[in-house]
Amino acid sequence: MEFAWAPEHEEFRRKIKAAIDRLLPSDWAEKSQYDTSSEYVSKFSRTFCPALAKEGLLIPHWPKELGGGGLDPYHHWVLGEEMIKVGEPRSYQYMNVNWAGPAIIRFGTDEQKQQHISKIVAGTHIWCQGFSEPSAGSDLAAIRTTAERTPNGYVINGSKIWTSGASLADFCFMLARTGTERYGGISVFLVPMKTPGIDVRIIPCLVGERSVHEVFFTNVEVPESARLGDENDGWKVVRAVMHNERVGMPRYALSMRVLDHAVGLLKKKNRFKDAAVRSYAAKTKAALEAARNLMLNIIDDRMKGKAPTATTSVARYALVTGDRWLLGFLNDFMYEEVMSGKDPLINVGYKRTGSTGIGAGSAEIQLNLIARDMLRLPRE
Amino acid sequence: MDFDLTPDQSALQSAIDQLLARHKDYPTNEAVHYFPGDAVERDLEAGGYYDIAREEGMGASEAALLIGAVAQLPWCAEVAGTALVAAKLLPAPVPRPVVLARGKADGPLRFLTKNATVLVDCGDEVRVIDASKHQVEPLKTFFAYPFGAFVEPPDLSKAPVVPGVTGAALRQWWQLGLVAEIEANARVAVDMSVEYLKNRRQFNRPIGSFQALQHRVSECVVLIDGMRALLRRAAWSGDPADAALAATHAQEPLTRIIYDTQQFHGAMGITLEHPLHLWTYRLRVLQGELGGVTAQAMDAASLIWGD
Ligand SMILES: Cc1cc2nc3c(=O)[nH]c(=O)nc-3n(C[C@H](O)[C@H](O)[C@H](O)COP(=O)(O)OP(=O)(O)OC[C@H]3O[C@@H](n4cnc5c(N)ncnc54)[C@H](O)[C@@H]3O)c2cc1C
Repeated sequence: MEFAWAPEHEEFRRKIKAAIDRLLPSDWAEKSQYDTSSEYVSKFSRTFCPALAKEGLLIPHWPKELGGGGLDPYHHWVLGEEMIKVGEPRSYQYMNVNWAGPAIIRFGTDEQKQQHISKIVAGTHIWCQGFSEPSAGSDLAAIRTTAERTPNGYVINGSKIWTSGASLADFCFMLARTGTERYGGISVFLVPMKTPGIDVRIIPCLVGERSVHEVFFTNVEVPESARLGDENDGWKVVRAVMHNERVGMPRYALSMRVLDHAVGLLKKKNRFKDAAVRSYAAKTKAALEAARNLMLNIIDDRMKGKAPTATTSVARYALVTGDRWLLGFLNDFMYEEVMSGKDPLINVGYKRTGSTGIGAGSAEIQLNLIARDMLRLPRE
Repeated sequence: MDFDLTPDQSALQSAIDQLLARHKDYPTNEAVHYFPGDAVERDLEAGGYYDIAREEGMGASEAALLIGAVAQLPWCAEVAGTALVAAKLLPAPVPRPVVLARGKADGPLRFLTKNATVLVDCGDEVRVIDASKHQVEPLKTFFAYPFGAFVEPPDLSKAPVVPGVTGAALRQWWQLGLVAEIEANARVAVDMSVEYLKNRRQFNRPIGSFQALQHRVSECVVLIDGMRALLRRAAWSGDPADAALAATHAQEPLTRIIYDTQQFHGAMGITLEHPLHLWTYRLRVLQGELGGVTAQAMDAASLIWGD
């Protein structure tokens, strides 16, 4: 057991923090509102990510032969922690480097790699994830959007929902049905969002400006070369993507920052003497700290090449629990700030904790996985 | 960062498991509130395990492993006071059991017997009471630990002060010991529940196939794994803030873990025949010890954010 960061990880964190300090404008909090999904942040990401790339901070965890830094999973995690603390200035480009790029590298043809990877590595393009559909949320394999064969490729019909950043994105990494088999009838397509027949509607929501969208596909023609991997073999890609996405983001890093900020404000208002406030703050901190340690343990397993287990779900659920504590704390003791909506950090903390248990495998799905894969409880 | 036990710690864990293997069984036909762990204590003494944290290259992490392993046994043995708290605070071993007390030491004290050494948190300082110089009476409770009390509350002003040791230091190691005990006891209660959920059938199926129960027991696992994560970090760092946070996180969900594990067992959970109570009625004690969760949380808040 050793819980201190290795010097190279600390050094890396310092480097990222310095880059963030240098690259974010002084009015970042006000302009960005720490909203990953905002138009401002997404636009900003198109200059921020190239700047990160120049400093070797965009794909430090990618293999060297692909232009990455060949750095270990802890480096990747530290990068995520520092980015989310400031509202994720990479906007949805974090998805490019976390899973979309790696999936293209793993399953793509040379042509696809040439077309997409150079753009991802340059930090100039934004991807969105077209998985969920109205009838396919937790039960992702229930997707109905179809891609039918044509002489030149495929024609896609159907709709996606909850697609983050769709109205800002250049490409969509999407799933469509190419066969009738539940798992064995799904393929992945890499589709430019400008393709005729794609219609995007922002869904007004309580989390972020452009957090969720509907995307409609009406006779969208794509060439065969838009398909990633073999036809009907998309579930394999999905599993690989999920594997990379499963731990999710180090959201606790932002939540802890928000908590500290709230405590600072309460001290200024002379309210931090109150025992109720103090003990609630500590309970919140403890829950977030537990989530942090459980998540870091997953990264440690990754470092050691261990296969992922249901401990990932344990960590995810711990994070949901920690964020629930934070939400309760803000509700109870930051009422005025929450109501006025003027403090960007309180605002983002308050909003984001509202969706921690939904995306990338809901809280209940995590509990199902713990019950089934860890506790080996019988199926209903 | 490395979350796995070191090779030495793994070896220690195996040695402890081996030593304790013969104490896993207990007389199932006896309906008692707890089983006194004298035989366990004798084995630990003979093997030198009570001094584990005093040994070169070992410390709180190793003591925590020992405390956890013993707490998983059906027999009730005193470990945390001696192997962790006294080892951290006192230069040399003292007669055991080591009993931990706060304030006036005038209430029921866990493990208090006539030969005990009592360490008292007096705020700024720690005082030691040699129980053999006082009259001690055993208390009858329905909890799963032995309790005793001083017949006359000892005059603390006459009790020697432990030089250079603050009440805060006592609380830190006490908190850590508590987390190790809570985590292990809760884990047994949950493991036992999982087995019960698999075997008990109602409506023609194992009750563990009901999602309502699956989710609740899975939530218990998340809470307990969180305790372990914070325990290990706090034992490793020796930072009082880490210990206070870990203790906060350990005591906070106990109402729920105790309630749920008992609930999963139906009426069986309230009997003395079923062994579940050996662990849940320890947890009930541990939940309120050292002032309970609010006290730990207040400690944590001061250590992290100041006044
Ligand atoms: C902020 C945000 C951003 C998102 N971004 C994207 C994106 O970019 N791309 C994308 O494809 N998707 C995205 N999603 C969608 C997300 O992946 C889905 O919301 C998620 O998979 C859940 O699906 P659902 O919303 O249809 O809920 P449902 O699956 O309908 O679930 C509703 C409720 O039922 C519960 N439930 C479902 N099945 C079970 C079960 N077997 N046992 C117990 N309970 C169950 C769920 O836990 C939940 O509480 C996003 C969601 C959010 C909130």
